[in-house]
Amino acid sequence: MSHIIVNRIEKQFPNGVQALRGVSMEIAAGSFTVLIGPSGAGKSTLLRMLNGLELPSSGTVSIEGQTLGPRVMQRIRAKTGMIFQHFNLVGRLSVMTNVLTGRLSHRSWIGSVLYLFHERDLKIAHHALERVGITEKAWERADRLSGGQQQRVGVARALAQGPRLILADEPVASLDPVAGEEIMRLLRKICDQDGITVLVSLHQVALAKRYADRIIGLNAGKIVFDGAPKALEHDVLNHIYRNQKAIGNEEHFEAQMAYA
Amino acid sequence: MKNILKLRWPTRNGFPPLWCLIALGLTIGMSFFFAPAAEISAVRLLSSFPRMIEFCGKIIVVPDWSYLPDLGGKMLETMEMTFLATSIAVGISLPLSILAAKNTSPHPCVFHATRSLLSFMRALPELVWALVFVSAVGLGPLPGVMALAFVTVGFMAKFFAEAIEVVDPKPVEGVAAHGAGWLHIRTFAHLPQAWPDFISTVMYILDHNLRAATVLGLVGAGGIGYDMIMSMRLFDYNRLILIALSIYVVVTLLDRASDVFRKRVT
Repeated sequence: MSHIIVNRIEKQFPNGVQALRGVSMEIAAGSFTVLIGPSGAGKSTLLRMLNGLELPSSGTVSIEGQTLGPRVMQRIRAKTGMIFQHFNLVGRLSVMTNVLTGRLSHRSWIGSVLYLFHERDLKIAHHALERVGITEKAWERADRLSGGQQQRVGVARALAQGPRLILADEPVASLDPVAGEEIMRLLRKICDQDGITVLVSLHQVALAKRYADRIIGLNAGKIVFDGAPKALEHDVLNHIYRNQKAIGNEEHFEAQMAYA
Repeated sequence: MKNILKLRWPTRNGFPPLWCLIALGLTIGMSFFFAPAAEISAVRLLSSFPRMIEFCGKIIVVPDWSYLPDLGGKMLETMEMTFLATSIAVGISLPLSILAAKNTSPHPCVFHATRSLLSFMRALPELVWALVFVSAVGLGPLPGVMALAFVTVGFMAKFFAEAIEVVDPKPVEGVAAHGAGWLHIRTFAHLPQAWPDFISTVMYILDHNLRAATVLGLVGAGGIGYDMIMSMRLFDYNRLILIALSIYVVVTLLDRASDVFRKRVT
C-alpha cells in the first residue's frame, strides 16, 4: 500500500527559483527512503511539501489517500513527525516540554494554553526520551544540550506524537559523524520496530546506502534515480551529482565521491 | 619645540570642521532669537537668582518626621496603584500583543486595527486620561488605576508585539510541523521565545508607572501626588522634602530590584 503519492508537482518560489519540475513518486508504507542529490536539487522542498510547510505550485500530494490541502493540513500534520537540520526546538523550554509539544495535536487548546498536560502525555514523552536515550536531560533547558543531544530530542518529539510518517530534512548535516550515525540508527530502528514510514534527505551517500531500503536521486528539481541502494553505482552517482552547471561543482562532486 | 605643543583639531587644516561651526552657531543663534518668546531674558535670570537661593534655603529643611506614618500610607497607596494597573495591563496586553504582531496576527486587518487601537490608547498622557476617568467615576485611586492601566496597555502591547515579531521562526516551524493548533503554536513557540523581552518591558513600565502614579494625585486620582501638590501650595516644605525623598528612594529600589530580576531571567 502506498503511504504517499506525489503526483507531478511543480514548485516555483516567489523569487523565480524553480525548485521542482514535475516530480511524481509513490512511497510504500513502512519503508525507509532516502533522498539524495546536490544542494539546491529540491530535496528539502519536496520533503516540506509532504506536510504542507510548502505548497506546490501545481500537482497534488496525497497522504494515506487524503489530498493535502488547507482543510486537512492539521490532521495530516498530526500524523506526521518532522526532524530538522537545525533541530528547531524551542530553546528556552525544557527538553520535556519540547517533547510534549509533539503531543499538542492530541490536546484541546484550553488546558495546554496553561501548559497543562495529562499524566498520560508525560508518560508517552518520557518513553520517547527513553528510546532516544536522554531521560537524564529531561528537565534541562533544550538550548543547553549539544547538537547530537538536541537532535535526539527532535526525534523524541516526533516519536511522542505517535506518527505514521516521519520526515527528516538533513537530520545529520549539522552533527559530527558519530552523532550522525546514531541518529540514522535510531531512525532505522523506529522504522523497523514501529512500522513508521521514514523519509530522509541526506548529503552523505555512504549513510544513504547503508540505511535505506530505497534511494531517490534528485537533480535540478527532477528525479534522476530511483532504486535499491545496490543499484547506486559510481556512474549513477555521477549522473545524480554532475550535470549541474554551478561553479565549483567539481569539488562538491569529488567530496561526494569520497563519501561514497 | 613650541610647535609640538600647539593645540589643534584632528582635521586637515587644524580648524574644526565647517559643519560643526555652523551647527553650533545656529543653536546658539536660535536660542537667543527665541528666548523672548519663552519670556527668558538675561535680566530676569539674574534677578531671580537670589529668589532661587532663598527657595533652596526653604526647601532644604528638617523633614517633618511626624508626617512619616501618613506618608507611608500614601506611598503604599501609590505603589498599590502602580502594581494593580501594571498587572491589569499585562493581562490585557498579552492577548492584544498576539493580535498586534505581524507574524502571529490572524489577519492583516486585525493587525492594523489592533495597532491603531493601541496608538489611540497611548495618544494622550496618563494625566489627561485620569481627568477623563475622574469625571467619569469620581475622585480616588480607582480612576488613577484605570488611567494608568489604559495608557500602559497602549505601550505594553506594542512592546510585547515587537518582541514577538523578532522571535526565531525555526522553532515555530518545528512546533507547527507536528500538528499543533493556532493557539498552541503561539503559546509554545512564540511566547517562550519572547519571554525575556516581556520581562524587561514589564520592569521598565513598572518603573515608569510608579513615577506616573505620583503625579496622578494632581487631578485627584489618588496617590502621593495630592499630598505633594497640597504641601507645595501651603508652603509646607518640611513635608515636601520628605515626599520627594521617599519617591526617590522607592524608584531607586525598584530600579535595583528590576536589574537583579532581569539578570536572573535571561
